[in-house]
Amino acid sequence: MIQISAAFTKTIRELLRERSALFWTIAWPIIWVVIGSFSFTGSAPAEVVPYIKGAITVSMMVFALMIAGMANLPASIAGDRATGLLAKLISMPIKPYKDFTGRILAVVMLSILAAALVVIIGFTIGARFTGNGIEILSAIGFVLLVICAATGVGLIISTFIKHLQGAIMTGVGIAVVTSAISGLFAPYEVLPAALQVFSRIYPISAAHSAIVYLVAGPGVVGYNPLTYGQIILTISASVIVLVAGIVLYSRLSWKLE
Amino acid sequence: MYAVHVENIVKTYGDRRVLDGVSLDVPEGQFYAMMGPNGSGKTTLASIIAAVRTADSGNVEVYGQKPAQAKELIGYVPQENFSSPKLTGRENLVYFANLLGYSRNQADKLVVEMLQRVGLAEESDKRVSKFSGGMRKRLEVATVLFPGIKVLILDEPTTGLDPSARRAFFGMVQEIMDKKTSVILITHIGSDAELAARVGLIDSGKMIAEGTPDELKKKHAVEDAITVETVAKNDGVLSVLKGYSINERVADSATGYKIYSKNGDKILADVVRSLDKAGHRVMRIEMAKPTLEDVFFKLTEKNLQEAGI
Repeated sequence: MIQISAAFTKTIRELLRERSALFWTIAWPIIWVVIGSFSFTGSAPAEVVPYIKGAITVSMMVFALMIAGMANLPASIAGDRATGLLAKLISMPIKPYKDFTGRILAVVMLSILAAALVVIIGFTIGARFTGNGIEILSAIGFVLLVICAATGVGLIISTFIKHLQGAIMTGVGIAVVTSAISGLFAPYEVLPAALQVFSRIYPISAAHSAIVYLVAGPGVVGYNPLTYGQIILTISASVIVLVAGIVLYSRLSWKLE
Repeated sequence: MYAVHVENIVKTYGDRRVLDGVSLDVPEGQFYAMMGPNGSGKTTLASIIAAVRTADSGNVEVYGQKPAQAKELIGYVPQENFSSPKLTGRENLVYFANLLGYSRNQADKLVVEMLQRVGLAEESDKRVSKFSGGMRKRLEVATVLFPGIKVLILDEPTTGLDPSARRAFFGMVQEIMDKKTSVILITHIGSDAELAARVGLIDSGKMIAEGTPDELKKKHAVEDAITVETVAKNDGVLSVLKGYSINERVADSATGYKIYSKNGDKILADVVRSLDKAGHRVMRIEMAKPTLEDVFFKLTEKNLQEAGI
């Protein structure tokens, strides 16, 4: 336990002391919550504006979670590989799973912090959410699925992209491109049919739709993401991506040639 | 039982054989230096002893166990800096103490002691990004001073340090060594290797000579080494110097050339005259005792700084 705690403490301290990580994970989504809330609500009826702001807030919260898992986690791992830390860790009596568990927990902590701040700012500028206690809890469950999937993608990136800049750029690139083509930044209805299928399979956009459906109402989503089949698909895809990331990372990353 | 026993290690990367049957033994408490140029295989060998890599064939034992089973006994300081620049010196050491299984309280106490041993107690709450290269290396050496670690493997620890920082570093290493701790120093710097009780010279993946620094010099470098610095380094100077050196061996040094002679004191004046006559002004000429770098040059006809390039 102390080894997991050591990896967690080191990683969270590094993330919180890295200004660029904080900017892209927390400040950048907040900026877009503010810009989006005032730019994309002009022609909407006054009574639905708070819920559109709510949907924008959820989208940017999910984007923050994606950046935390897909860019910050690979950056942390690639940075340690670029220095001699990976070699040092391999030479020490520590199991790989303890190292990556600590790192993942740190990213989860940063993700929760980022999500909370985005939601608080969104709420402050007028975003409103629907939903009773169970729906809110369910939405939090889908937030955890987003974190799982983003972390899994981050671990896969860490396994194959060995250099710091490459890891960051790949993570940000995947986050931005998949957000754009899966309906995170655009209404589901305007996506081509193939991308609508992708949007339902890709665990992050599927979980995002479920969160919006639960806390901002069904009108904004474009389909029902809470059917049994879709929920099972979303959970399965998130867990598969996370498990794939863990397996690849622990088998391929934790060794030198 | 040896602290470290290496027997006939072979390691290849693709088609390239990086280690080709290297063997060595390090008794408990010995300061052993492995010296060779970049690319000679010494870092690979160090990483195999440290359980970071595995050999293709051969046998490595640390206190009679495979390195992977003896990680508690091994303290490895890789060539690259591995301390986190975003953490303070103290936070870095607490991190490594926790990884070794020490509780928070135990770690806090031990870290205070470690910081004192490496002379960083005053700077311990500064972020490592504010440390000098020498301070950072001392901090990283502190990560292998925790109780129970008996074999220290230091890979090129003085690279990038100025001469005074290097002296201070080895002063610290001598202080932290006790009779039970063995140190394996990986280096391409002859003066660093001179501090060791025993030296192995490695080139192209093979151990080409081994012994105490004095033994190696007596056996392989009986000639005087004369360092010549001229206003410019060029083929003309080289051609004159070749005429005075045994087997026309001329080694490149940082600021000039080195030649070898069995009666150095007698030819000094002649060398200056000949260079002068050929239009090459001599800035400095001096005769020195042979060094381990001279031994390496004698054995390989290669300069330590260039051989691996």
